[in-house]
Amino acid sequence: MDRRDFIKASAATGAMATLASCGNPENQLIRFIPEEPLFPGIATWKPSICSLCSAGCGLLVRVMDGEAQVVRNGQTGLLKMALAKKLEGNPDHPISRGKICARGQAAIQVTYHPDRIRQPLRRSGARGSGEFQEISWDEAMSEALSKLNGIASAEDRKTLGFLTRPLDGQREVLVSQFLEQFGAAPATTYEVFGESVLREANKRSFGYAQLPTFDLARARYVLSFGADFLGTWNSPVAHSVAYGEMRQGRPGVRAKFVQLEPRMSQTGANADEWVPIKPGTEGILALGLAHVILKSKLRTPSAAGKAGELIDGWSAGLSNYSPEAVATQTGIAPARIERLALEFAEHGPALAIIGGAPLAHTNGMFQALAVNALNALVGNLGKPGGLFFTPWPSIAVGSKAGRGLRDLAEEILSASKSPVQVLLLNDANPVFGSPPAWKVAEALSKIPYIISFGSFLDETSTLADLILPDHSFLESWLDDVPESGTSMSVASIAGPVMRPLHQTRSMPDVLIEIGQQLQRRLSLPWKNFEQMVRASVNVLPEELSSLEKIHEKGGWWSEAPMNQPNWVQTARRQTPASEAQFDGAPSDYPFHFLPYPSQAFLDGSLAHLPWLQELPDVISTAMWSSWVEINPKTAQDLKIAQGDIIAIKSGHGTLQAPALLSPGIAPDAVAMPIGQGHQNYTRYASGRGANPLSILSGMTEPETGAHAWAATRVRIEKLERVEQKSPLILFSGGMREHEETHR
Amino acid sequence: MSHRWGMSVDLDRCTGCEACVVACHAENNISTVGPEEAERGRAKHWMRVERYWEGEFPDVRLKFRPVLCQQCETAPCEPVCPTYASSHTPEGLNAQIYNRCIGTRYCANACPYNVRFFNFYNPVWEKPLDLQLNPDVSVREQGVMEKCTFCVQRINAGKIEAAANSRELRDGDIRPACVQSCTANALVFGDLNDPESAVSRLSRSPRGSKLLEELGTQPKVTYLERELWQESEGIRRG
Repeated sequence: MDRRDFIKASAATGAMATLASCGNPENQLIRFIPEEPLFPGIATWKPSICSLCSAGCGLLVRVMDGEAQVVRNGQTGLLKMALAKKLEGNPDHPISRGKICARGQAAIQVTYHPDRIRQPLRRSGARGSGEFQEISWDEAMSEALSKLNGIASAEDRKTLGFLTRPLDGQREVLVSQFLEQFGAAPATTYEVFGESVLREANKRSFGYAQLPTFDLARARYVLSFGADFLGTWNSPVAHSVAYGEMRQGRPGVRAKFVQLEPRMSQTGANADEWVPIKPGTEGILALGLAHVILKSKLRTPSAAGKAGELIDGWSAGLSNYSPEAVATQTGIAPARIERLALEFAEHGPALAIIGGAPLAHTNGMFQALAVNALNALVGNLGKPGGLFFTPWPSIAVGSKAGRGLRDLAEEILSASKSPVQVLLLNDANPVFGSPPAWKVAEALSKIPYIISFGSFLDETSTLADLILPDHSFLESWLDDVPESGTSMSVASIAGPVMRPLHQTRSMPDVLIEIGQQLQRRLSLPWKNFEQMVRASVNVLPEELSSLEKIHEKGGWWSEAPMNQPNWVQTARRQTPASEAQFDGAPSDYPFHFLPYPSQAFLDGSLAHLPWLQELPDVISTAMWSSWVEINPKTAQDLKIAQGDIIAIKSGHGTLQAPALLSPGIAPDAVAMPIGQGHQNYTRYASGRGANPLSILSGMTEPETGAHAWAATRVRIEKLERVEQKSPLILFSGGMREHEETHR
Repeated sequence: MSHRWGMSVDLDRCTGCEACVVACHAENNISTVGPEEAERGRAKHWMRVERYWEGEFPDVRLKFRPVLCQQCETAPCEPVCPTYASSHTPEGLNAQIYNRCIGTRYCANACPYNVRFFNFYNPVWEKPLDLQLNPDVSVREQGVMEKCTFCVQRINAGKIEAAANSRELRDGDIRPACVQSCTANALVFGDLNDPESAVSRLSRSPRGSKLLEELGTQPKVTYLERELWQESEGIRRG
């Protein structure tokens, strides 16, 4: 053996020894060549947009190199790639101003979730069984195309349906153009906490079909009718930043904040005065306050302009709404009503806010119009410390209108052959989130073919026949025009902060590709979604429209006056007072049932994130749990103790959950957070707790068709012997306060 | 100039949103323990938001209080540690040196604030959740006590950054994850040795008090009391 052979031989045995010593199979994976330049250990910051709710907070994402196990071209290997490490608020962004909420902090777990769908799936078992088989993108795309080509005749084109959560920016434009060119009806959008009632009310009162923006930082008096504006409603991060200023940002001035609600919310806990009110009477109280203000001649009826004209009896001083009359309905003492009214009128700038449960009654429209009139009466529209409507930049927006979910389900169920033959499903989970009376699951099962773009299997996407998994938001091109939360004009734009981890494709890219490959080709003028987003900024004022500059910053924004109000031309009818209708007679169902968006999970779509499951709820301290909040006196009467499993029965179903004794709820009501009770939603949420939406009546607000999710009454039964499947798990800080009960 | 790190918590600003709690998990590689272990009181939250009910319905009030390690000047957790794992740094932090810790849990027993957490098992991040882990923070293993560090990795990074730019640290250069995420700017962090820093000024507020001060622990976290509104808009204590 000469020297050269010796080296060869020793190299070979060395390599074999190394391989043999690798007990960890990962170390045997092949290593891919990085697809991008990387600087080991150096963090960079890239702008993005939080996509967990519609507020549209601007993000800065900390990105560092790391090693991920990925599949590329059918081969598993290790890839050095840039990875998102931490999400922060973008300090320059007008909505987030450097902050994000607890849910936004956890949003990074969406990308790295162990149960994300990693490549296209075709259903292999019965519908709803959750059995799927992994297939390639080529196979998946040709199957999707053949189904869509199969409904290409002029008659059949209408049978394409699109069901989605509300979309933002260019995604919305693309989807509406795709459907229009295909010849299908506009998309059906659904979310549990849709805001159609408030948008419609604001259109009638102020001429803006938009959620309102509040200048809390400069307000001196804030009256909130059930709006959880610091927790889950509208633009909570923007509100919280301004709230800090409202409290301690002005030397010598500290605003008063009054919250009216039957169950103390996270927001209500921060109020200077918390006033419990009977559910569904918020609008009557608002008019009661207006009555006192008008009667004491602090304002004249005409001060409220068009918003006042909409209210029956407004110009006559609302004579039916004397404090005594209002007191019997709302449960608030007459003297208190008078005091609140005078404080509101005399401590300007004053702001009235309505949101959440008060709008989710059958009289939601009346309630919103009444509060709008109260705002208009003190003249705060567009004034410092008042109410604003975010001006929109001139970027193209899609059409919002489409068939409602309830109508869609009804149409499908009443026809012998489903009017929807192929359904595209994007990031909506109405099987979990809609009342059982709407029979959404049954209707969807009647649709012959469903394509989902979902990243996770949930109650709705398990009904799909084909799943074309989308990128996570950190892997996508994003854009968003915020509806509210700032008085500036904003267009947020961000590119992907990391390359896709899995074999996924962005939903808009897939739509564009389908459009190009259909037999009857659609004329979508973009190569891909990136090009579409880039093109969309061209309309912005020129000196600011350099995409590179926008991209670096995370978007484009500029001071701008509110747009001109867009008055509805139809006859402006007066809205008479209407009483909230409730499902269930008080004799059979003595308690109001108040479901509410949970701090961690919102409408339930975030229950799959382990950080949020283990986050102690700030009111109850509960983790990984469902619970029913019940007043301690009521609990005593019913002999219910903390943690007892109780049955909540409505006319539409029964659920079981542990009782949580809470002093912050009216004795004639029980409340329950929405979010748990998933049958099928990843390893962290499946089979955990109960879903309050599953026992709600299907009643709606008649003018908009919005679900009246606060209108159900229930009765409570204590269960004697139950198997504690989902106990109440409370966090008490530290590790010493729990007794070791089982060893 | 040597530093002495401290924090102020304005309870009049705090909304109880808990962004700080999740931000801390993300920054400091705190593992979730799952429902079974959480039920046994083993969940780990270096930062928590406590809540206190006052009164009965309908005259009921709820107060929030974010609680984290108070970084005591005379810390009860330090003298009880047989291995000096729990020790005082020159800048006044109550450090936990993981590779000295043998898991006696004496420190957690001694801490009056309940802010020390024990790893009963090895932490688990189900793949690929582990790709989120912050490479600047070590992952703690079974048998080791862990606690808030005031994000010491950010303090060190801030110093390195300032040194690289040949300048002194400025007030506000360093923000622990909870402070950075605090939506209502209730949390303020800085150097208590600098009398002009924001945290020093806030700590001198007449609304200020320390948690369980009477124990003599000399905490470096100051809580500013929540206020109540008055008709005159004069301000009185809540």
